Amino acid sequence: MTALPDGGYAVELGDAEREVLRRLAEELRELLTADDPAVARLFPAAYRDDPAASAEYEGLVRDGLLGGRLDALTRLDATAGAKRLSHADVEAWCGVLNDLRLVLGERLGVTEDLYEEDIDPRDPRAPELAVYGWLTWLQGEVVEALSTRLE
Amino acid sequence: MSQTIEAPVRVERAETEEERDADRPWIVIVWNDPVNLMTYVTLVFQKLFGYSRAKAEHLMLQVHNEGKAVVSSGTREKAEYDVSRLHAHGLWATLQED
Repeated sequence: MTALPDGGYAVELGDAEREVLRRLAEELRELLTADDPAVARLFPAAYRDDPAASAEYEGLVRDGLLGGRLDALTRLDATAGAKRLSHADVEAWCGVLNDLRLVLGERLGVTEDLYEEDIDPRDPRAPELAVYGWLTWLQGEVVEALSTRLE
Repeated sequence: MSQTIEAPVRVERAETEEERDADRPWIVIVWNDPVNLMTYVTLVFQKLFGYSRAKAEHLMLQVHNEGKAVVSSGTREKAEYDVSRLHAHGLWATLQED
């Protein structure tokens, strides 16, 4: 992904990659809408030692947090095929990619030293680990492009 | 956030605690996690708090190496607001009294 002089960004992804992204985003939307336990990590507690205060906080912010994530998914779905994205589009892509990695990462039990060993093809998690790895690469590209605006 | 939402919680507290609350700031802590990219965390700190790249990286490294870092402080309302923005960006953040 490349930051363009006009404030937008150029995206170079193959059609198959874009389709994977769309499909993953749709799966995340279903999990969020169903309030599946898999997305609990996206709504962390605000108070470490005060469940009542955390519950009060959640009552205030949860709808906004959920709505923001669904909006980002909508924007990604609308722009998944585009070669040029706006800054707001890229911020949405970044948020979706991060949410996908958080949910998938939790399911796979990823640790910080995940890439110190090659993925064993016999590991039943191998296909999903490969997807996680690709999402990590893509988010890295997106963050690098966004970061150039803040220098 | 409005006072009317805050009031039900504060009424339950002892008066002396309430007096102390007014003076003591709340701090916002970001906790390490194995998924968030270091470059992403740095970007979020720059974006949400207006920190320089250097300061944002310093805080990110603190989270990464020490497990957590205090990224902002203020009234309870401001701290909750900061926590909600960090949560919206997928970071694991909590607030507590200083």
